[in-house]
Amino acid sequence: MPYPVISYELLYHIVSFLSIILATWVVARVLSTLLGKLLKGVAPLVAVHAKRLIWIFIWLLGVLFALEQLGLRIDVLLLLIGLLGAALLIANREVLQNFASKYFSDVYIPFKVGDTIKVREYSGKVIEINPMSTILITDEEEVVSIPNSIFIRETVVNITPQVWKEVTIPILISGEIDLAEFESETLKSCNKLKLHLDERFPPILTVKNREAKSTELVLTLMIKEPNRKDAIISEINSKVAEIIERMQRKKK
Amino acid sequence: MVFPLLKRMLNEGIVEDAHWVSLNPTGPEKAAVDGITLHHVSLESEKMKGYGYTKEAIWKAIHGIPQKLESASQVLWQDEFSDYTYYNRLSAERIIQLDKETDFDVFYIHDFQQLPVGHMLHTLKPKVFRWHIPFDESMIPPEWRQFLSAYFSSYDAIIVSCKKYLEALKSLGYAGKAHYVYPYIDPSSYVKPTESELAEYCRSFGVRDDDRVVLVVARLDPMKGQDRVIKAMACVVKDVSKVKLILVGDGSFSSSKQGVGLSKADIWLSDLRILVKRLGIEDHVVFAGHLSQSQLNAAYERADITVLPSVREGFGLVVIESWLYRKPTIVTSRAGIAELIEEGGNGLLFDPDDPLILAEKTSELLADPERARALGENGFITSKRCLIDRGVEEESKVILELM
Repeated sequence: MPYPVISYELLYHIVSFLSIILATWVVARVLSTLLGKLLKGVAPLVAVHAKRLIWIFIWLLGVLFALEQLGLRIDVLLLLIGLLGAALLIANREVLQNFASKYFSDVYIPFKVGDTIKVREYSGKVIEINPMSTILITDEEEVVSIPNSIFIRETVVNITPQVWKEVTIPILISGEIDLAEFESETLKSCNKLKLHLDERFPPILTVKNREAKSTELVLTLMIKEPNRKDAIISEINSKVAEIIERMQRKKK
Repeated sequence: MVFPLLKRMLNEGIVEDAHWVSLNPTGPEKAAVDGITLHHVSLESEKMKGYGYTKEAIWKAIHGIPQKLESASQVLWQDEFSDYTYYNRLSAERIIQLDKETDFDVFYIHDFQQLPVGHMLHTLKPKVFRWHIPFDESMIPPEWRQFLSAYFSSYDAIIVSCKKYLEALKSLGYAGKAHYVYPYIDPSSYVKPTESELAEYCRSFGVRDDDRVVLVVARLDPMKGQDRVIKAMACVVKDVSKVKLILVGDGSFSSSKQGVGLSKADIWLSDLRILVKRLGIEDHVVFAGHLSQSQLNAAYERADITVLPSVREGFGLVVIESWLYRKPTIVTSRAGIAELIEEGGNGLLFDPDDPLILAEKTSELLADPERARALGENGFITSKRCLIDRGVEEESKVILELM
């Protein structure tokens, strides 16, 4: 009895299917690892869920394309998935609003952990800002959770004393730069702007995070006039960049 | 004070391992003494000068010295302050490196020279700050309080030297654990001198058998008020002809040639000699300079009265030393130890701006040996509150509470 003959075309489809599955596995792993690194500073549970979502999404796409190689029609499947996605978006619009508001509040609404704010009938000290809500602790030691979407729609008053004066400049330097030397040069640069800064509060450099390859710092200054804030930040950023470049060149 | 504390804590098993990071421009990078590992930080000469300048400026501000007092805005915005910050950052980096290797349980930062280290350590492990110099809010200019307050908040606990300073710390707004622990000495170093040591001391400094001796033990610094007691002596010699003032002490680390190179002590000594000459009491004043421990013991033993004339004084451990020899003391009202003095009970107090009162009390005491003896005996009893055993117990309590 002759052996069944597998046509080249079928072989091609099977190989394509397997190749797409393999490629999907590789892409899912790479993207998952990258996302893990990006979300390093975020709560572990959030990172786990995010990685899982990416994994599912990549595999979904990969499996669909792989199945298409075997001759299955995926357009109906894609339509169903699209409808399901839309339904999920509508069901979770509040959640997504809060996520989006967190982004805008970081950029446009100036308050941070430690500040005391007033919004609607609530006022208290900000103890946490997470992707969903901002947590306040009131004078009566009540914990109030305010959805971030509120901050886009409502007036927020930052009642922290002298908060308008405080400027915090985040700085990232590589691990090979001598921190003591960098700090000394940075403070000397700030001294030249003394005229525009509150003399009672000399600049302070604080280490936020330390790793082998990089150090995250925050330079805190108190300005005299709010209308010069942008100019001061710009000048200091420029000075800091010069110092970093100079020190990196010296290392080489 | 801190080194003996650490040594004792190691010996008693309160701590298992101790590392000490400090500035030492000439010492080796690492050394071991009495079970404590010393790590030395050095600075290049320009940064050393800047650090020294800033350190002195902060010291003057805390002591409220009105002459040549620079404002915070002058000091904290100068490049020299960057050098002070640089030294602190170097120390903090060394500590962080050691912490990775050793995994410390607690950090104990000692005095204003290292104040920013707590902020720089970037760890939630407990940090204790020991403040030795005075902390009197009435003396500290308001513009300096913000600077202090910003760094104090980095510490989980601060120890000051007396109750009065504790109140000042709290009124500055410090919200952490605030404690006071009287400074302390190890009494085993202060022993009765031998007859020959006593004789040698008297011979070296021209002290005759019938001389009444007033002793001052303090480094040569205007803050220590040697000029006040010299002015007082000009009056005392009119009542007590055979009286000698022995001034023991020379410069601090800052004044040493190997230190930051300042010559404050030499300048002050010269000023004092001029004052003595102007008052015509050269025969009654002896500048003994630095004494070895055995010579110091002899000085205390031979003294009739000890005076602490400081214009400002964090505490005044020399009074405790004197009390160990049961000597009556006349103490400035501006020293931390003044809160342990009961006027007429275990000592006498005076205002350092009023040398006449000091002269009066000195003459009265020299004329009343019975009263002097009683003050000395009561002082000896009071001294027990400032001995190392008690110091170790109280400091350990603070540290262990944090752990």
